[in-house]
Amino acid sequence: MKLIFEYEEETTEHVPDVDDNKERERTGKEAAAEDITIELPKDLMRKELPLPNVSEITVVRHYTNISRMNFGVDLGFYPLGSCTMKYNPKINEDMASLDGFKDLHPLSHESCIQGSLQLMWELEQDLTKITGMDAFSLQPAAGAQGELLGVMIAKAYFKQKNEKRKKIIIPDSAHGTNAATATMCKFETITIPSDSRGNMDIYKFKEVLEDDVALVMLTNPNTLGLFEENILEISDLAHTNGTLMYCDGANMNALFGITRPTDQGFDMIHLNLHKSFSTPHGGGGPGAGVLGVKSFLAEYLPLPRIIKEQDNKFFLDYTKQKSVGKVKYSYGNFGMLVRAYCYIKSCGTNIRKVSEHAILNANYLLNLLKDDYELPYNRRCTHEFVLSSRKFGEKSALNIAKRLLDYGFHPPTIYFPLIVREALMIEPTETESKETLDRFAAALKSIANEIKENPEIVKGAPYTKLVGRLDEVAAARKPNLRWIAFSQSDGKEDSEKKLYVKK
Amino acid sequence: MNYSPITENDKEEMLKRIGVRSINDLIMDLKPSLNEKLDLSKPMSELELVEHLRKLSQKNKIMKYFIGAGAYNHYIPSAVNHLLMRGEFLTGYTPYQAEMNQGTLHTMYEFQSFICLLTGMDIANASLYEGSSALAEAVLLCSSYNGRNCIFIKDGLNPQYLEVLKTYCEGADLKIVNEIDNNTACVIVQNPDFYGSIENLQYVAEQAHKVGALFITCVVEPTSLAILEPPGNYGADIVVGEGQSFGIPVNFGGPYLGFMAVKSFLLKKIPGRICGMTTDSKGNKGFVLTFQAREQHIRRERATSNITTNVALMAIASTIYLALMGRKGLINVAKLSYSRAHLLQNKLKSIGFEALNKKPFYNEFYMKAPSGSLENISSNLLKNGILGGLDLDEDKILICCTELNTVQDIESYVSILKETK
Repeated sequence: MKLIFEYEEETTEHVPDVDDNKERERTGKEAAAEDITIELPKDLMRKELPLPNVSEITVVRHYTNISRMNFGVDLGFYPLGSCTMKYNPKINEDMASLDGFKDLHPLSHESCIQGSLQLMWELEQDLTKITGMDAFSLQPAAGAQGELLGVMIAKAYFKQKNEKRKKIIIPDSAHGTNAATATMCKFETITIPSDSRGNMDIYKFKEVLEDDVALVMLTNPNTLGLFEENILEISDLAHTNGTLMYCDGANMNALFGITRPTDQGFDMIHLNLHKSFSTPHGGGGPGAGVLGVKSFLAEYLPLPRIIKEQDNKFFLDYTKQKSVGKVKYSYGNFGMLVRAYCYIKSCGTNIRKVSEHAILNANYLLNLLKDDYELPYNRRCTHEFVLSSRKFGEKSALNIAKRLLDYGFHPPTIYFPLIVREALMIEPTETESKETLDRFAAALKSIANEIKENPEIVKGAPYTKLVGRLDEVAAARKPNLRWIAFSQSDGKEDSEKKLYVKK
Repeated sequence: MNYSPITENDKEEMLKRIGVRSINDLIMDLKPSLNEKLDLSKPMSELELVEHLRKLSQKNKIMKYFIGAGAYNHYIPSAVNHLLMRGEFLTGYTPYQAEMNQGTLHTMYEFQSFICLLTGMDIANASLYEGSSALAEAVLLCSSYNGRNCIFIKDGLNPQYLEVLKTYCEGADLKIVNEIDNNTACVIVQNPDFYGSIENLQYVAEQAHKVGALFITCVVEPTSLAILEPPGNYGADIVVGEGQSFGIPVNFGGPYLGFMAVKSFLLKKIPGRICGMTTDSKGNKGFVLTFQAREQHIRRERATSNITTNVALMAIASTIYLALMGRKGLINVAKLSYSRAHLLQNKLKSIGFEALNKKPFYNEFYMKAPSGSLENISSNLLKNGILGGLDLDEDKILICCTELNTVQDIESYVSILKETK
């Protein structure tokens, strides 16, 4: 496929080409936008704008054809562990693009935003019920930002209490974001190994739980898809030590209506609305990483807070108590909030079914596959599970993933969590049928056979995609990161010249 | 609604295969277990949902907007949403398996190219959440690059951006200071600034570079880049900002599109995803995520940022928008926005408003109302379906125009003000 920059110059018209002020005032006629003169000093003005001009049909064909080189949940099974690639209901897209929502300016007068405030307020209420938390902030734009907000709140909380706590405990199965977030807030991380059942090693935990530990960050169920068996003991120990319990809620899809994070002893949780609550992943976002906290931390949440008054009116409260401040412009990724709200309203009191079926699907698939691949922790899983292909040798997880592409499936997450060698992390989600799971298991079994009988086939995969296996090493060694060839010296001028010639 | 296709029959068979009698046997470990149903509302059918959401959305009131202040109401060609809603773009995730996600990667590469062309920079990432947190990420980048912890912000930064920056700085133990010296990690200037004013910032770049600080230009209304000097040309080391103006609805504040572009010496420090062009086994051109060793899933506590999910779909929207508008369309948007804003300012001057911008402006400007409080004026405009601007204090207002503010609307804006007096 060409780049959009490589098409020949064509005509294009998408905005009113006419302007009608000065010229109309002067002559009674409209002037073309092109004739508007901008009366700005020369040194403020751009000399050239090197963008392509192509017609609408060219653009539509270009991006339609590009989209066909992609894979999504709408096209097939996408068991990318830890990402909860469930079906994204179409109606939720329509609801999020209702004019009354999408065309609402965030700085509109309070009397004009009552519908949006009500939606957000109700969503906060529903999320508190699902998690057991007392208050939610819908502001964070993604899970990692929810974490960041949580860690900032912990920092502010201990500062307020005048306690010097500089450490955060994280198990070695945790998402990389947990550690990266701790660093962004200048905390030191202590990594605890996992025990033979996939839990955080409780003995090691006790050893390091000193009075300078601010936070324990746990994912529950963890990234192995296993429920933390010692969670109540961990929470008790932490709380006795004055340490806060933070839940990375990426795996909330396993828990709806079954158990609540607060009952497990967590003080804070972020939820990834784009995972558990079905908002589409969009090729990498947008997400929404809302943060829930127990009441004693509610004052630290970002401003404004949404308040419901007795007469069913809503208002935004900017009263600064102990709030850590804002983490993003306006109130959150509102469009994603609408979709998640729709999802919760659709599920309603039946939301437990979502998790039950997610767990059923994962355990079923696990049982279909555990004889052909290794199961490093022999336990019943929750909504996802991790297999190892180490018996097939180094790089086997990568090769299997690439070979799965030829079978028409998106591969599982590979090489994560880091504690399992040649890891294949599989999350089927509740929106897949038994038949799909059977076909996927058959594909993985078939690949296992191929490795034994004809390993070269697997090593050379994929064969059926528009491109073969791509060279990531070369991409980093000779970076080509934009249309103008990467060069610190003269590349830029060359290709700009090329564009000007076209004009 | 129920989106799970598992039938009761399936369930029986599956449980049998697993070797348990009921789903309860599968969830025994998940404790403490909840004994009652969650107190949520009755499940809604699609039909009920539509009615409910329509009603909610109608409780909002959409105005004719003469307000910007971080969110700009531009025209979005219809083709943008049609293309964006294709399941191939909408329902995939981060392209970890490049061979299967060339579509997202191809568009990312074009997005990075567009951002570099517009900003005059060498390297752009594949997006950050939105403008204000992108600015905060830029500040963290600077501090990590030169090991300094003082931040200088020139007056005129969007106040919400400033708030977000303060939050991040508090978290990261960085200080916002009033002087540029040898401890300054970076100097931040929004251009056009919050009040719409534009200037050539070469002198700021020089001031920053003289003491070894990095210079960040923050662009909140990026259609301005169609006509204004690209920040890369006046010495910016980092250009960061908000891309919402490029084909993304105002959406009550999100999702928007944070972008970041840097000079090439900062390549290894930039946060977020980066797409690079490479070749496959047969020498065909293709795209992959590259320089992943900067990122959290590999580098963990030593990553350049914790960012994972970005706003890929918004980046795709803006790429399609920019492709549709092209050079000519984008310049027209900028010219119309510029001229409508200047028309309104002139008309307001003629009825006694005082222009407060000391420098040239693009499509946003602020004025002092002639007498009395703004409150009357604003509420009168609201009654007539117009959001007249952002009230800065009792007599100052920040006003914005785009190509969507027609001359007719401008005339009625002014005549309503005349009547108010």
